[in-house]
Amino acid sequence: MSSIDLRDLTKEYGRRRAVDGLTFRVLPGRVTGFLGPNGAGKSTTLRLLLGLDRPTSGTATLDGRAYATLREPLRHVGALLDAQAPHGSRTGRDHLRALAASNRIPVRRVDEVLEETGLAPAARRRVKTYSLGMRQRLGIAAALLGDPEVVVLDEPSNGLDPEGIVWIRALLRRLAGEGRTVLVSSHLMNETASFADHLVVLGRGRLLADTPMRDFIDARVQPRVRIRTTDPTALGKALARHGHDAVVHDDGHWTVHHARVDDIGRLASQAEVPLLELTAEEGTLEQAYLDLTAADAEFAAQPQEA
Amino acid sequence: MAFQPALHAEWIKIRTLRSQIGGLGAILLATVAFATLAAADTDGEDFDPLFSAFFGVSFGQIAAIAFGTTAVAAEFQGGALRVSLAAVPQRGRWFAAKLTAIALPVLAAGLTTGFVTLAVGSAVLGEKADGFGTADGLRAAVGCGIYLTLMSLLAAGLTAVLRSGVAALSILIPFLLIVSFVVGDMSGGIADLLPDRAGQVVLHSTPDGALGPWTGLAVTALWTAAALAAGAWRIRRRDA
Repeated sequence: MSSIDLRDLTKEYGRRRAVDGLTFRVLPGRVTGFLGPNGAGKSTTLRLLLGLDRPTSGTATLDGRAYATLREPLRHVGALLDAQAPHGSRTGRDHLRALAASNRIPVRRVDEVLEETGLAPAARRRVKTYSLGMRQRLGIAAALLGDPEVVVLDEPSNGLDPEGIVWIRALLRRLAGEGRTVLVSSHLMNETASFADHLVVLGRGRLLADTPMRDFIDARVQPRVRIRTTDPTALGKALARHGHDAVVHDDGHWTVHHARVDDIGRLASQAEVPLLELTAEEGTLEQAYLDLTAADAEFAAQPQEA
Repeated sequence: MAFQPALHAEWIKIRTLRSQIGGLGAILLATVAFATLAAADTDGEDFDPLFSAFFGVSFGQIAAIAFGTTAVAAEFQGGALRVSLAAVPQRGRWFAAKLTAIALPVLAAGLTTGFVTLAVGSAVLGEKADGFGTADGLRAAVGCGIYLTLMSLLAAGLTAVLRSGVAALSILIPFLLIVSFVVGDMSGGIADLLPDRAGQVVLHSTPDGALGPWTGLAVTALWTAAALAAGAWRIRRRDA
């Protein structure tokens, strides 16, 4: 099984540092979400990994080998960088056939991946008649063509319809389940939260986090409790007595910050406050991410010279 | 990685685009169409029956240039080059495969064009075709194929240097249609060494400049080699 290894990877365009000293590993058997705002350097990092751009310094390797030294690379690494890449006047199937030929992949695989991505009915239509979602699927089909151990997808859910988004989630989970190394960039938090096991977060070209997703959220978002009662006065007193910080919403429900259901439930019971609802509100990836990048924004607001 | 799979892929790319196949047909049509008019202007002191048959090459070469340009320019649209180079990361090998996939069909179309033009031109000229011998005719037909191939590769190289088909065509077309016609009348000297002037010597029955038919093609080949070397350098050096 293969892993991706970035070591001190740096890329400068003129005086601007698009990627700044990145070091991290992407391991097989799990989906790694590659997060960051637009312009954070995600796509540049992926191009460096695929040997398309040359790093200013540092290395990007797959099992210790640079991508450009791979024989028949599509059999090792499948990548989707840009759904607009296939020529509009060629059919989807012909686009895949040319790619397959370049790496001596049997034509049988072309039809298999077309089937797998749901493009079989459109396979002999010209790409310019495809919707964005279909182009996205064609790009994913191209990535899967060589049955690679490493799959790298740049914003794969872009333009997919709801059905497509559910499909890609299942696909990514399956690929990781088969022991493949899966790296998926995105700027959509909720989407990433639905498939990632592990997170690598980038901001202004630098590594901000490299942790399991659950840890990332738990470390940044305090637990909250949602509660509803028929006796607001009694609840307010009980919470205040225990020093809890609560907010009452217009529709009558309360949010208690920095609290767990176990404590609040017991407390309400002791104070004999009748409860209609008591729910733990888990932190979301979005909250954790915003917390992290808010800190980075402050830090980055200092004048910095590349 | 071997060369053959890369060539196979590039050949699939060319033959799956209708515009590319149409371009090959246009080389033949444009050239032969003018051969039928070969006999229209047989007056004048310096009438050259062989070149009057092959006069259409001036237009056929536009199609050959468009063919080479389009094949390379398609790679610079929408990140297509990244897909190609991710599949064949050895850039020199990839570019060589691309050029071979351009050159072979143009050579086939060009040779066909050469022999069809010779046949049609001879038929139209009738006894005026006696002005050139069989050997001259065959030399011109083969030379026509080689010349068109060199011009399509020159265009391919220039497109790779400029990373744009529009830019390459907006240099080559005015150059061939205007500059060369105007400068071309001032025969002799440096103008004879322009890629199209030098290469077209092979289409004349009697070379009137310093260059012979084959040395003329060699001069064109040097221009082409320079364009290809610059294109290859650009493909290898630049971020895709």
